Amino acid sequence: MSLTTHPPRRGSPLTAAGTLVRFLLRVDRIRALVWVLGIGAMGFYFAHAVQVVASDDAALAELAGLYADPVGRMMVGPGFGMDDPTYERFYAAGYAFVLYIFLALMSVFTMIRHTRADEQAGRAELMRANVVGRHATLTSAFVVTMLMVLAASVLIAGGALSAGFAWEGSLLIAVTGTAVGFFFAGAAAVSAQLSESARGASAMAGGLIGLAYLVRMAGDAPEVGGTALSWASPLGWAQQTAPYVDDLWWPVLLLAGGGLVLSALGFWLSTRRDVGAGILPARLGRAEARPALGTPLGLAARSLWGTLRGWGIALVLAALMFGAYAQTMMDAADSLPAEIADVFAGEDIMLGYLAYIALFMGVFALAAGVSSIQQIRGEEAHHRAEYGLSAPMSRTTWLGAHLTVVVVGVLVILAGVGAAMGLGAAMVLENDGGAYVGDLFLAAFLQAPAVLCVVGVVTALFGWLPRAAAPVGWVIVGFTGLMSTFGGLLDPPEFVLDLDPFHHLADFPVEPIAWEPIAWLTAIGAAGIVVGLLGWQRREIGRI
Amino acid sequence: MTTTHPSLSRPTATHPVISARALTKTFGTVRALDGLDLTIGHGEVHGFLGPNGAGKSTTIRVLLGLLRPDSGTVQMFRRDPWKDAVELHRRLAYVPGDVEIWPHLTGGEVIDMFLRLRGNYSARRRNALIDRFELDPRKKARTYSKGNRQKVALIAALAADVDLLLLDEPTAGLDPLMEAVFQEVIREKKEDGTSVLLSSHILSQVEALSDRVSIIRAGRIVESGSLTDLRHMTRTTVEVETAQPADAIAQLDGVHSFRTEAGRTVFDVDGDRVSQVMSALAPLGVRSLIAHPPTLEQLLMRHYGDAPAARH
Repeated sequence: MSLTTHPPRRGSPLTAAGTLVRFLLRVDRIRALVWVLGIGAMGFYFAHAVQVVASDDAALAELAGLYADPVGRMMVGPGFGMDDPTYERFYAAGYAFVLYIFLALMSVFTMIRHTRADEQAGRAELMRANVVGRHATLTSAFVVTMLMVLAASVLIAGGALSAGFAWEGSLLIAVTGTAVGFFFAGAAAVSAQLSESARGASAMAGGLIGLAYLVRMAGDAPEVGGTALSWASPLGWAQQTAPYVDDLWWPVLLLAGGGLVLSALGFWLSTRRDVGAGILPARLGRAEARPALGTPLGLAARSLWGTLRGWGIALVLAALMFGAYAQTMMDAADSLPAEIADVFAGEDIMLGYLAYIALFMGVFALAAGVSSIQQIRGEEAHHRAEYGLSAPMSRTTWLGAHLTVVVVGVLVILAGVGAAMGLGAAMVLENDGGAYVGDLFLAAFLQAPAVLCVVGVVTALFGWLPRAAAPVGWVIVGFTGLMSTFGGLLDPPEFVLDLDPFHHLADFPVEPIAWEPIAWLTAIGAAGIVVGLLGWQRREIGRI
Repeated sequence: MTTTHPSLSRPTATHPVISARALTKTFGTVRALDGLDLTIGHGEVHGFLGPNGAGKSTTIRVLLGLLRPDSGTVQMFRRDPWKDAVELHRRLAYVPGDVEIWPHLTGGEVIDMFLRLRGNYSARRRNALIDRFELDPRKKARTYSKGNRQKVALIAALAADVDLLLLDEPTAGLDPLMEAVFQEVIREKKEDGTSVLLSSHILSQVEALSDRVSIIRAGRIVESGSLTDLRHMTRTTVEVETAQPADAIAQLDGVHSFRTEAGRTVFDVDGDRVSQVMSALAPLGVRSLIAHPPTLEQLLMRHYGDAPAARH
């Protein structure tokens, strides 16, 4: 220190903020790059895919119908300009909101990561012990977040312009995206002060994104262009700019103003609390365990519950929405030329679509299973397996209990998905919608053997080659996803298709149930689980 | 316990609770255990001293049956910890060195879970310990500090009715008041006949609690015995004021670092020479005498070289 030669400088609240920004950018260089490039690539893909999906005006008009009907509006937005669709309008109506949501998520995660998460880990204390101004950490988190948001928005504008879209609307989408990022960065700045845990803070700000989406859903469904309720949601403001149609700029000011108010509130709240503390008291839990927790199965269920519940809720909601498209698919069939309609009845098209959705949901249920097994591996890596096994509980019991929870969880998710899809269809179908409930339930549930097969394979790896389990699991998820979506388009050799366990299952309810693949896929799954348990029994625990 | 698990013999003085011989364990190129011997008798509190990375946790993981030694033999209650892990774990409780507990469970839930898994739940013991360690059992584990996580693991282990406690640096995150509570509880456990393996690098803790001490270095026990035995092998520092000059003492066997400080004679004497030196001092007219027994710190310094390096 040079205190003897210089009079001590009076520190400003922002002292060292610049240094912190450079530091955070360095710490986050990979993560930031992945977010920004990911969002940029998504924007580019959306802008260009539109023109591939709908190759002519007739196809475009038909697709635009999807976003113009109430269910479509509920899912994606107010549907401006869908009566006279162009590629750019279709892009703005159907996909811009996805970019907004990802920008909002990026904002929230980056802000919390550099504020509350650092505080919870004790890193903030280490920082604040240095010559660092009171507002330096929050400011630097803001600067880093907004740099990322800006970079991603520039890429989004670039993607739209490269697709030949009008410059004003493209610029409007990018500016709106930046404003959405700013608004939710402000929300995260507030939630980081309120909650004592990073998870709580993320959940609060993330919950606001979800709430904004739900309010917008309810607002946009009744009318094209939305209703007064749409204006109660920040995501609604973003969509009311109607890019490529009306090109309204002033709703952006609502977002920017809201962001300013929230960030000012965040900075103010940060002066009203101690480092490490939250404004809201931490929520207390039970002082004593329920009896069920004192069993291996209870422990496993509590460990994996969060992951499975998250996947379950997301998939069931998605299935409900996809199911609610049934009538739209039925109507689409009516517009087909007579000779094709003779071959494919409206019912066939609708059921074919839902059979495909069931397959798609099956792949996601598999993802839920793989991420649960990854979490079992996490229990081991974080030494909780070791600690739990110090109780009188055998390894087989421990892993068996965890796998039971995974398998039951995945089956319940598939059942929930099937029920939701059936319910969604029953709600919208004009004639005898209830008739399909049972078939749609089965369509989703019958994906289970393929899921079990892969769960078995990943479990076997966990027992013998634990390091490979999660990576291989995710590669399989990616592969089955690719084959399910583009398998027909890519036209790969038969043996490649055969590697996809979902490929062997019949497309119920379009085709009759094929029992043989169900039997052997289940057998592979069961064998894999047994092999995995044997490996787990003989290998050392906690050797990472 | 004997009634519920008749197949397990009650430990007796003739059968050590833990007996490990010539254990080796290699991780890649690192030799974590290099011919380790360890014996712990029934009802004994055994201090397991050594710096980080000396092999303390690896030894405990072998005892828990989580790792398999490359060579050597190990028995607990005359059973193989790898094969008979479940039966053995009914009789022992473990506190990990780096306590990681389920972040979404509360402290109270973790404690109850372990007590119920062991099947000898006593709400009275549990609540008494929660009070003594001043733990708020309603908080989610993710909001606990390291010290509080450690309290959770300690309460879960100490509230259990077991014959053996395996404690891996159990108080590294606790403040001095809680350290005192910990020592008190361990003394009570010892009175009940519980055996304890207490791994630590806190010398005062081991000194206060242990009957016997093993010092581990680079995967090998370099010194083992009662504190008295160990002290015997080291030097006592004597400061004495005598009526007549004491220079002759310097010539005696076993006397080292003889010097005069402010009119007092100060020297170190080997443990087994103390009585001879005292006999020689008496005729010189002793006015005052202070003798410092060797501290464990000095014991450790002998094995680890310079003092600061030994104190991780």
